[in-house]
Amino acid sequence: MTENRIPLGPFHPLLEEAEYFELQVEGETVVDLDMEIGWMHRGHEYISEQKNFTQSIYLVERICGICSTSHPIACVRAIEDVDNVEIPKRAKYIRSLVGELERIHSHLLWLGLAGHFIGYDTVWMWAWKYREAVLEMMEIISGNRNHYGMMRVGGVGQDIKPGDIPELLDRLDMIDKKMEMIAKVANDDPVLKARLKGVGVLSHQEAIDYCAVGPTSRASGVPWDVRRDDPHDAYGMLDFDVITRPNGDVYDKLVVRVLEIIESSKICRQCLDQLAQVQGPILNDVKEISPGEGIGRYEAPRGEVFHYIRSDGSNRPVRHKVRAPSYVNIPTYEASCKGISVSDALITLASVDPCYCCTERSLKVHSDQDEKPDLLALSKQKTERIRREYNAN
Amino acid sequence: MSKVDQFRDKFKNKISQEIEKKGRYYFNVENRDLRQIARYLFDEMGCRLSTATGMEREQHLEILYHFSYDETGQYFCPRVIIKDKENPEVNSIVPIVMGAKWIERELFDFWGIKFKDHPDMRRLLALNHPAKLDKPMRYEKEDV
Repeated sequence: MTENRIPLGPFHPLLEEAEYFELQVEGETVVDLDMEIGWMHRGHEYISEQKNFTQSIYLVERICGICSTSHPIACVRAIEDVDNVEIPKRAKYIRSLVGELERIHSHLLWLGLAGHFIGYDTVWMWAWKYREAVLEMMEIISGNRNHYGMMRVGGVGQDIKPGDIPELLDRLDMIDKKMEMIAKVANDDPVLKARLKGVGVLSHQEAIDYCAVGPTSRASGVPWDVRRDDPHDAYGMLDFDVITRPNGDVYDKLVVRVLEIIESSKICRQCLDQLAQVQGPILNDVKEISPGEGIGRYEAPRGEVFHYIRSDGSNRPVRHKVRAPSYVNIPTYEASCKGISVSDALITLASVDPCYCCTERSLKVHSDQDEKPDLLALSKQKTERIRREYNAN
Repeated sequence: MSKVDQFRDKFKNKISQEIEKKGRYYFNVENRDLRQIARYLFDEMGCRLSTATGMEREQHLEILYHFSYDETGQYFCPRVIIKDKENPEVNSIVPIVMGAKWIERELFDFWGIKFKDHPDMRRLLALNHPAKLDKPMRYEKEDV
């Protein structure tokens, strides 16, 4: 029997990061999947163990260009956890505000890419246009559109000027209006539903078994959210909902992300309200870190980001462990990709928000007793099946 | 009674060197008890495995598992000490927690720790490394 394998990656013009997937297919159906990672391994943990704590924060900020404030928040929380350092109230609101703005821009980025991947380029253009406003807000707050450099052990590095708040609120108003429109599109558009409903399903039990996090687990009805479960910074003082959906398909992952943008916008408004009232310092002075261990985590746009710090009392960590959310979300492909068609596999791979590539080359592996490929027969069967379904409807 | 107290009562003969902090609970377990404890944490308590951290100390290697109990935001962290640094081997928890597959492969890649009964014990990050690595990536005795 001829075995058809479709290699995806590791390098491709559409691909932002290098990953390699090998889909084993029968006709158009994916029957097995092998994954290989490692091209992007840069030894961040090892480098961080050669740096002091302050330098580590800037280093982890550069692990990812999109989650460039989630890693620093988790890192400073891990360092603070060693000594149970408390941070000033105003700093808590600033941390949560920056984290939520990052969630909005990351989800808009994914929404645009997902639209592009399914050939819906209008969504891509719109989503990235609205994302621009969030990057401008970041520039107003921190001076940078990306890599904000805001986090410090014991607080934050920059305050938000009262004069900037109206400008930030104007942009939030625009995003709210546009997100309402996109939520309506997601709800009404038959093309999106036809393309994404029932595709790449990750069941509730599979999400638990694979320890999936973030929108990937919440779209399968598993309501894990660090912001609510382990409230830190300002999250314990804010009012927000954890969005979940029951079906676990790509459509639900899209809906979760769209609704999360609306929730994040609500959180940002609450933070800005409080920042107008709560005054005081933004940074507690932390002179040294005692020997011990600390765990810090933060609900990044893609899910829980985890940092572990072990200190021996010197000015640098003896062990710094980093676990990004995609690390636990990518293995869920084993469950969600098997049994679906090749054309659906691509959007399923994209649905957990990693980076992926599309079918550029196909590789055939012939066994000793080679038979004629029966692709034509499979194709006829498929045509027959579609005809039956069409007539049934 | 808090979840930590319940856990301590149940496994008081099997855990040692406990460290309890706000929201964090670290303790040592023997390799032979690891699966039983992982099964209790994952299946009965409903914890989620965040990840596992490998560490090299002067005399031994250690693996620190991070189980997150999301109902209270508490971390349960069992620590396994491996004294044999030349041929480190630990029982795999993949038969209990499917999500540990890559985590254990990474520990094998970094520290050379072999996991007994792991279904796919290959390197994770340096599987097809151009330098054809024949030692764990963080092997620091020579060639560094």
